[in-house]
Amino acid sequence: MRRFFALLVLSLLTVLPADAARLVSQLSNDNIQITSSFDGERLTFFGSVVPDAGSTERYVEGPFHVVIVVMGPTQNRVARQMTHNFGIWLNTEQVTFRNFPSYFQVLSSGRLLDITDVTTLSAEHILPESHTLLPNEAGWWKTAIFGRELIRLMTEKRLFGISENAVNFLSDNFYSAQLTLPSDAPPGPYIALTYVFKDGELIARRSEGFAVRKIGFERFVAQAAVQQPFVYGVLCVLLALVTGWLGGVLFKR
Amino acid sequence: MQVYLPIAELSVNLFFLVGIGGAVGFLSGLFGIGGGFLLTPLLIFSGVPAPVAVASVTGQVVAASTSGALSHYRRGGIDMHLAMYLVLSGIIGAFGGVAFFSLLRTLGQLDLVISLGYLLILGSMGTIMLIESTRAILKRRSGIVVRERLPNQHNWIHGLPWRVRFKKSRLYISVLPVLIIGVLIGFVGSLLGIGGGFIMVPALVYLLRVPGNMVIGTSLLQVVAMMAATTILHAVQSQSVDALLAFCLMVGGTAGAQFGASAGRQLRGEQLRGLLALLVLAVAIRFGLSLVLAPDDPFSMAVAGLGG
Repeated sequence: MRRFFALLVLSLLTVLPADAARLVSQLSNDNIQITSSFDGERLTFFGSVVPDAGSTERYVEGPFHVVIVVMGPTQNRVARQMTHNFGIWLNTEQVTFRNFPSYFQVLSSGRLLDITDVTTLSAEHILPESHTLLPNEAGWWKTAIFGRELIRLMTEKRLFGISENAVNFLSDNFYSAQLTLPSDAPPGPYIALTYVFKDGELIARRSEGFAVRKIGFERFVAQAAVQQPFVYGVLCVLLALVTGWLGGVLFKR
Repeated sequence: MQVYLPIAELSVNLFFLVGIGGAVGFLSGLFGIGGGFLLTPLLIFSGVPAPVAVASVTGQVVAASTSGALSHYRRGGIDMHLAMYLVLSGIIGAFGGVAFFSLLRTLGQLDLVISLGYLLILGSMGTIMLIESTRAILKRRSGIVVRERLPNQHNWIHGLPWRVRFKKSRLYISVLPVLIIGVLIGFVGSLLGIGGGFIMVPALVYLLRVPGNMVIGTSLLQVVAMMAATTILHAVQSQSVDALLAFCLMVGGTAGAQFGASAGRQLRGEQLRGLLALLVLAVAIRFGLSLVLAPDDPFSMAVAGLGG
């Protein structure tokens, strides 16, 4: 009997990995509202690495690394190249990237290549480049060149970026990170993917969604422009006529 | 104070918008033009996407020209019959312009055509205006009495078929040149986001020989009606009219226009035309340089619709 119990304990120990951990995380704001004075918004991500449900251990041992990927709604985006023809510069070549993220920020607690290897980073779509490597009718060579330039352009507009020290560990297993969403962040559903690494291995992950949306007057205008374009256009003209007439009346001397 | 533009999807300083609206409005009041050819490039250079800038400025041009058109109407300075022909043909041209605009946008050549269009149209109009006004100023200096061309002098254009009598302008001319001018200005205006007043006025004066007291009023009414139609067309076709952006520009523009109009009374006609010519040429040169000089960045990007 004692031997049976000993075997059972032994088998349980081998089934459960020593570092079975899960992630408990939270977002400061899951509904970002664009009002007329919207000027960007600061988001805080925080969470803790805890033992997995059913684990016998009371705490998990680090050191851990956390990588947070924040991705905006996808759009079809086109990258174009200007060349010099007949004395003038004009767009001659273009590559369309379908379902390309409109916003992509990577926050991590250290250098990405120190956290894990390139293969894992690519497989998990953590690097921005992974979104340009999908098959494209333009051919892989052009896709690679235009993809690199597109990421550079997006990075210059601060829509793409990698911040390799943005995640701070406040204790061994509690982290927090801050992200400032710019005012030109495209509205739509966003997704925040949090990965926990230990010794280069992915041990836990979690995804959270949040929405960036126009509310009130901005929402009304944007919806009217799309749903009732004719009425919207007529109203714009009426607004212009009334403003022009009022201006003439008010400033008449 | 930042204000979020719902269609352009970016936030811009409110005082900057009203300020450039006011500055351009001042110039438009001074010279009696709509100001679209200044406002559209200014918006594009300050980061507003080109389609939104072009479409929203058409709304602003309506507002900028309305008060002028109304005051000319009260003074009886509009030939309604002539304006009707110009407006109807202008709207047909605007349909073509807006369709071409959408086509260029998908092809990625919108910026090129806008730059080329500005260079060619503003460059040629600016040169003609500059030569004409310099001559007038020199003649006045040397004491020669300038003999205005008689408005009822005919040329071959008037002899084309389908002659119509325009009572108020005291003209009996073919409608063909009227319709062609209307279509061309409608096309160019909707494509480039300009009212086309500075093309319309010389065309009415030199080609159709419309009397001076009818020219400005008729041209303003044509600009209001055609730009109103263009705004609606842009709203339906490309959904890129930003009402808030247009409104901010209108408020600055209508206020600025009144001050510009009173400042304009201090200057003589040929001096005004000379200054306007320089302004038009400066914008043309700015666009010309952007075509010829190597861009800072040969790569650019644009959104080509929602994913899915």
